[in-house]
Amino acid sequence: MLSKRARFCLGLIAVLSLLSLASSCGGPKTEEDTGGPTAKTFKPKGNEGTISGKVSYNGAAPEAKKIDTSADAACTAKSPNLTSEEWVVKDGKVANSFVYIKDGTLADGSKVGDWSFESSKTPVTLDQNGCHYKPHVLGVMVKQEITITNSDATTHNIHFTPKNNPDWNQQQANGAAALKHQLNVAEVLVPVKCNQHPWMKAYIGVLKHPFFAVSGDDGSFTIKGVPPGKYTVIAWHEGGVNGTEQKMEVTVPASGAATADFTFGASAELLGQPSSLQMLPAIEFPMLSKK
Amino acid sequence: MSRGVHRFAVLVACATFFLIIAGANVTSHDAGLATSDWPLSNGQFFPKMVGNLFWEHGHRLVATSVGLLTIVLAILLQLRERRAWIRRLGWIALAGVIAQGLLGGLTVKLNLPLAVSAAHATLAQLFFLTTVSIAVFTSRSWVAPGLSINDEPGAVSMRALCVVALAAILAQLVLGATLRHSATWDQPLPTPLLLAHIGGAVVVTLILGVTVMTSLLRYREEKYLVRPALLAGVLLAVQLFLGLAAYITRAASPNDPQPLNPMIFVTVSHVACGALVFATTIVLTLRLFRVLRVERQTYVLAPA
Repeated sequence: MLSKRARFCLGLIAVLSLLSLASSCGGPKTEEDTGGPTAKTFKPKGNEGTISGKVSYNGAAPEAKKIDTSADAACTAKSPNLTSEEWVVKDGKVANSFVYIKDGTLADGSKVGDWSFESSKTPVTLDQNGCHYKPHVLGVMVKQEITITNSDATTHNIHFTPKNNPDWNQQQANGAAALKHQLNVAEVLVPVKCNQHPWMKAYIGVLKHPFFAVSGDDGSFTIKGVPPGKYTVIAWHEGGVNGTEQKMEVTVPASGAATADFTFGASAELLGQPSSLQMLPAIEFPMLSKK
Repeated sequence: MSRGVHRFAVLVACATFFLIIAGANVTSHDAGLATSDWPLSNGQFFPKMVGNLFWEHGHRLVATSVGLLTIVLAILLQLRERRAWIRRLGWIALAGVIAQGLLGGLTVKLNLPLAVSAAHATLAQLFFLTTVSIAVFTSRSWVAPGLSINDEPGAVSMRALCVVALAAILAQLVLGATLRHSATWDQPLPTPLLLAHIGGAVVVTLILGVTVMTSLLRYREEKYLVRPALLAGVLLAVQLFLGLAAYITRAASPNDPQPLNPMIFVTVSHVACGALVFATTIVLTLRLFRVLRVERQTYVLAPA
């Protein structure tokens, strides 16, 4: 028999172990998100218009950071000068910005959220190429198929880390068959990473409707097939905890075109909670920024 | 008691410490899910160790070695150890390392849920406690300490103080493990957990500081107790410095394109030093329990 003191110690250890088990609760939503059972299915009437524009950067854009790929010779061989893609800015124009209709009112008075939209049957491809993702940012509709390919001479693991959809992690060797995945709940945006090569990051915007686009290298984007109405359009860009956003009210005329130009800059508002403890001074150590 | 068994127990404790360092590297490199397989990695026992798979699979190989060493230790104890309770401790260590391996596999298969990952890190420290304890119990100085000290009557009980210090360190290790596993290198640490860990550091510093100082003052002539007390004090000071450095490098980490070596080195050192503070406090506590004689006072009612 254990003494009273020994029992107390064992009990204390058990309680402390359980502390860590109890420290997290809840989980991601897994129900399908396609507009609800009572939503009417949207059908184009032929008078749809477009929203187009350019995404710019005001001021000197942050410099891309050099990535050390020496941990995997296959990465170094294919991408010897790999840099971070957080801000891809050329001539003041921003690539990889996810632009989408957040909500709004159609010409007939109905809300975007009142409608359900049939998911696109065309898969989108996310390729692991040169130890980075191509494209870096993409948009899909809820339940639309995402095809994941590996064009590198090394093994990757593709790891979706969403908040509202289930976590998903699969390894994929060079030459392995394409992986297929879909996300069932709308989420802007789902981060994707490779735990083998931790610099690899991509973002997937998941929406119930097809009204989204990603800005190209020249900063331009076009959202097609938008029914006439007044909308809140968001331009999202990565950075911080949940990225940065710019918002604009846009009116789309019947069979017409609306323009929405967005500008990011050093003062763009970061979403989510700021970097960890703000009450401690932010101390800069230049030597620590070097590898 | 066999000198060979003791030396082997020390080897297992050292290997466990190395395993803790390997595990800390997995977390700091964000390598825990470098393969979605378990127990194999990418379907192989010896995969190509490139990228972060080096850290994840390396951790598995070190863990397998520690598992094998623990099996040998448990068998050695059954064969060479007379004390039944130490033989039982050998089996407990074996059960611990098996449970730890299964928790490691579970956290990979479930995509690193915080609760399982933190439990895995906590059990690592408890297993380390077990192996360090076995090394102490099998030592010659435990069997024949060569001294016996009477606790000062009326003064603070050193036994109680040490147990409280151990419990505080273990709670702090659990908090630290939960904090480390609650956010990857590219995300800011959650402020409530960070504050709790800083608060824990203050509590541990006070309790362990008092324990160390009291030990040094009361038993200044006894090297058997002074050495672990002094070592615990020095390691505590180093750990506080590493904690501050870990905060600074980790706070900057989300702005980096990948986990950088300064952050990895400092955070791994912080985990390793925490384990050493724990280990030295375990040694101090066990030795105090061994040599301290508590005189039980008898009260006799005076005749009316």
